[in-house]
Amino acid sequence: MNTDHVPASGTPVRRKEDTRLLTGRGRYVSDLVLPRMRHVAFVRSPVAHARLAGIDTTEALAVDGVHAVVTGEHPALASVALRAQSALPGYVETDQPPLARGKVRFAGEAVAAVVADDRYLAEDGAEAVVVDYDPLGPTVCAWADPAGITDPVHDEAPDNLLLSRTFRAGDVEAALAAADVVVDRELTTNRHSGNPIECRAGVARYEAADRRLTFWSGTQVPHLVRTQLAELLDLPEGNIRVVAPDVGGGFGVKAVLYPEDVALCLMAIAMPGIPLKWVEDRVEHLLAATHARDHRYVLRAGFAADGALLAVRADVWCNTGAYSVYPWTAGIEPLMAGGLLTGPYKLTDYECTVRGVATNTSPSGPYRGVARPATVFAMEALLDSGARALGMDPIALRRRNLILPADVPYRMPSRLVDDSGAYEACLDRAVEVFDVRRWRAEQIRRRDAGERPIGIGVALYNELTGLGRAASAGPRMPFRTGHDACTVRVNPDGGVTVFSGVTSQGQGLETTMAQVVADALGVAYDAVDVRIGDTDESLWGFGAFSSRQAVIGGGAAHLAGGHVRDKVLALAGALKEVDVADLDLRAGQVHVRGQEKPIISLAEVARVAYLQSDRLPEGFGPGLEGTEFYDPIRGAFAAGAQLAAIEFDPTTGAVRILDWVCVEDAGRIVHPVIVDGQIAGSIAQGIGGAMYEHLVYDEAGNLSTGTLLDYLMPTSGEIPELRLDHVSTPAANPTGVRGVGEGGTLGPAAVVAGALGDALGVELDDLPVTPARVWELAGGRP
Amino acid sequence: MKCPPFEYHRATSVDDAVAALAAAEDSKILAGGQSLVPVLALRLARPTVLVDVNRIPGLDGLDVRDGVLHAGALVRHAALARQALHPLAAAAAASIGHAAIRSRGTLGGSLAHADPAAELPAVLRACDGAVVVAGPDGTRRVGADALFVGALQTDLAEPEMITGVELGVPDAWGFAEFARRHGDFAVVSVAAARFGDRLRVVVGGVAGVPHLLETSAPSGTGALDEVAGALADDVDPSSDLHGSAGHRRALTRELARRALADVITEPAREPT
Ligand SMILES: Cc1cc2nc3c(=O)[nH]c(=O)nc-3n(C[C@H](O)[C@H](O)[C@H](O)COP(=O)(O)OP(=O)(O)OC[C@H]3O[C@@H](n4cnc5c(N)ncnc54)[C@H](O)[C@@H]3O)c2cc1C
Repeated sequence: MNTDHVPASGTPVRRKEDTRLLTGRGRYVSDLVLPRMRHVAFVRSPVAHARLAGIDTTEALAVDGVHAVVTGEHPALASVALRAQSALPGYVETDQPPLARGKVRFAGEAVAAVVADDRYLAEDGAEAVVVDYDPLGPTVCAWADPAGITDPVHDEAPDNLLLSRTFRAGDVEAALAAADVVVDRELTTNRHSGNPIECRAGVARYEAADRRLTFWSGTQVPHLVRTQLAELLDLPEGNIRVVAPDVGGGFGVKAVLYPEDVALCLMAIAMPGIPLKWVEDRVEHLLAATHARDHRYVLRAGFAADGALLAVRADVWCNTGAYSVYPWTAGIEPLMAGGLLTGPYKLTDYECTVRGVATNTSPSGPYRGVARPATVFAMEALLDSGARALGMDPIALRRRNLILPADVPYRMPSRLVDDSGAYEACLDRAVEVFDVRRWRAEQIRRRDAGERPIGIGVALYNELTGLGRAASAGPRMPFRTGHDACTVRVNPDGGVTVFSGVTSQGQGLETTMAQVVADALGVAYDAVDVRIGDTDESLWGFGAFSSRQAVIGGGAAHLAGGHVRDKVLALAGALKEVDVADLDLRAGQVHVRGQEKPIISLAEVARVAYLQSDRLPEGFGPGLEGTEFYDPIRGAFAAGAQLAAIEFDPTTGAVRILDWVCVEDAGRIVHPVIVDGQIAGSIAQGIGGAMYEHLVYDEAGNLSTGTLLDYLMPTSGEIPELRLDHVSTPAANPTGVRGVGEGGTLGPAAVVAGALGDALGVELDDLPVTPARVWELAGGRP
Repeated sequence: MKCPPFEYHRATSVDDAVAALAAAEDSKILAGGQSLVPVLALRLARPTVLVDVNRIPGLDGLDVRDGVLHAGALVRHAALARQALHPLAAAAAASIGHAAIRSRGTLGGSLAHADPAAELPAVLRACDGAVVVAGPDGTRRVGADALFVGALQTDLAEPEMITGVELGVPDAWGFAEFARRHGDFAVVSVAAARFGDRLRVVVGGVAGVPHLLETSAPSGTGALDEVAGALADDVDPSSDLHGSAGHRRALTRELARRALADVITEPAREPT
């Protein structure tokens, strides 16, 4: 038997979750059926802004099968409010009630909840609730003149401004004055959203006898949810168990604790012993789950004649929607926008004012890439304009300004520290794989032959991943998201169970954690079983956001695996009277280094540890388990470059992607197929945002794109064959990984817009790039 | 997104269906369900009785007699796409939605639903076809030009059911459409059919009903541009999320050119 340990990391091992997920045996919240369970439907406001003049529930209560109708004034809910906190100066804290109280602030806000025997009956009941709305003036656009505000969204912010901050470095005015070329752009990005296949879902059950609440939720952040629920529900945190079973996609939308979640839990507490289930449908999801990327950028950049980027000045408005999203606050998008706008480019003189503006629209929250698909679009637009003004090749101009390995660690003008420097390597590789020369030749050939024009689009970006306590995600909130925990337990039979604080929404964390632990501990991948998503099982994890779990959860898994390995070797050494320093654990067998034949198996060590205390050597206690936390302190920047050749048909506006290349630096890759899947999936979402997805409100604040008939998700028919490649510069963390969860989303808007500009010689100032828009830019008259 | 309450009747024959429809107020036929069920789930309709016609035997036939395709109302889009008797109908049916929708959606359902952007109503008009309708007072035949009254509105009365469809097989035909995504309803579609020297060109997506231009089939240099131009001038589209009026007009011109390329034979031109 070959006992050589083959590392699991770096190989495309079979995903642990796939037997379940690919054979229809996934366990989602929607699948959960409990005795005495009842179903909840929310009554949602059909108007954007109105005072609640009265809610009549009589008729709804008369519907057969309806058990209760709860409103915001119900005693169980009336005193509770979600209040996203930040210590940033000038941040205006506001309340979000679990169900609307006093007034509604966006179309889709929940005003009442109906509890019934099944969802059909609950919807029958919801229809019968009569709500009297006393209309108020709605604000829809975040950069409309504040003088026009008749009714502020929150009384605390008469100008609707919840947050504003200016990032400043150097002297931007002087640098602009000294520039040879100055370019201006005014850009608007399109509101869109994560829209996972599984919408939000929750089941809440309260057992009054021991005051225990269990909340099954499709959340990305179960531990955070537990902490927040404990505060909001006034329960000891140990009495709350949050379980995120299989989750069908999250993309940030499920990294939020929603008022519906809190309402469900509060109602469950008011109805002890009766589990309450709410499974969101698509219409609710489009209306009331968090939106994102509704921004405006007014930009000026200065360049020297040789292409050096000298200055960037930016004014940014982010549409926060009706509430400061809990717990991330209204700062989530604006602060990310101001912090990362300058991307992978060197710059000393920078001034950027960002604002989070409340409007009567669905709240904005985290969505894969948070703000950066928009900021990369903005920054790359400046560079494209600069290249045009300077008469320089756009790729050469970018290259001229990149943060290079010699510059690292590079202090960005926003004071974030970039540790990557792999941008040029990514660009070089992308240029090579894409074969820019071939596409430039094809472009000229088509121009000469009078065929449909093509353009080449390029985007370079830095993805800030795995943020430690010093760079922690979010704006000075009362918690720092830098660490995760992992417990590695060797069972009495020698098998390994891992209790990790990470969560998975389909991205294969069970697999990745098993790979890391298998290698750190010295066992086969198949010997490791991973448990995630249950706060009663794992000690701690902040969850899935900011491309953090491979870095932070992976770091904790590595350390915990190493810790238990040391324990195993110590016990094995004592049992066999061999010096620990000579021992090695490989594929579940303890060897004296250099010797073929193992001296003892992990299984036997475990048996001693649990069952044969009589054999335990002096100084050893029973059990074989270890828990470690990991915090990278800073973060790991991940570099990426995308290039595409895109055809535009001036007569119809049709957009056809001919080639798309992406090169990213994932550091050391744990699972190559998962990494490529992350990159491909995020590019697909990026293309969705760049070309299809658009949440459109009319002036009254009604969502015009309320179903998937009008909100267009890209399907496999729209996503081209993506050509993915890698460079690898291992990061300074235990596993050497850099996050790859979001990077792909950052490029596409810039790439498609850049290609359009390149093909037709026009500047595109708004997204998405639709056929109608292309046709207009090509000279069509709307 | 759950349907409001309704009663369900599974019809065993056309007579049974018509009787069930007539017996209740606000009854509705359920065929493939690909348009009706979403409407019910959004609670935009609340029929008291659904009369399921899927099990009625004999309504899925396809055959050509005297140059006319006779198709049963329950012919699925997938079957229409597969047949070779009426290539224009096949091309149009193949452009409907996705495989799952085509395998359930029916010809009669599509015509009765009368979505202004749907393919099959455009084909019915282009072929100057007709539907055979059964009602409490017997059967009648309604021509395409009379059937479509407005967006999602037909000449059918509530207890009436389309049982069959007649589609003349054109001597030459063309079909082109432009959709935002693979499988989407067309922003604009054009179906062209030539019968002898009569040319019928129909544009979908530009008005409440499929827009018809009927001319004698022209020939000679520039005929194609002439008809495409006339059609683009003739339509009066409105703007929505997926295209402005101007864009739809431009699409009409270009798609007409593409659809007509196979119908109007022009003297060979120098490539441009
Ligand atoms: C995602 C999606 C994409 C789609 N894309 C397209 C597309 O690109 N192009 C397109 O044309 N369609 C599209 N459709 C609609 C599809 O073609 C439907 O099948 C069709 O419109 C209705 O046919 P049905 O048999 O499903 O009818 P149903 O949904 O069962 O009924 C539709 C209406 O017609 C009535 N009705 C049905 N049969 C009869 C009859 N025999 N006599 C009288 N009344 C009747 C019903 O009462 C109802 O009012 C799409 C649907 C979906 C869900």
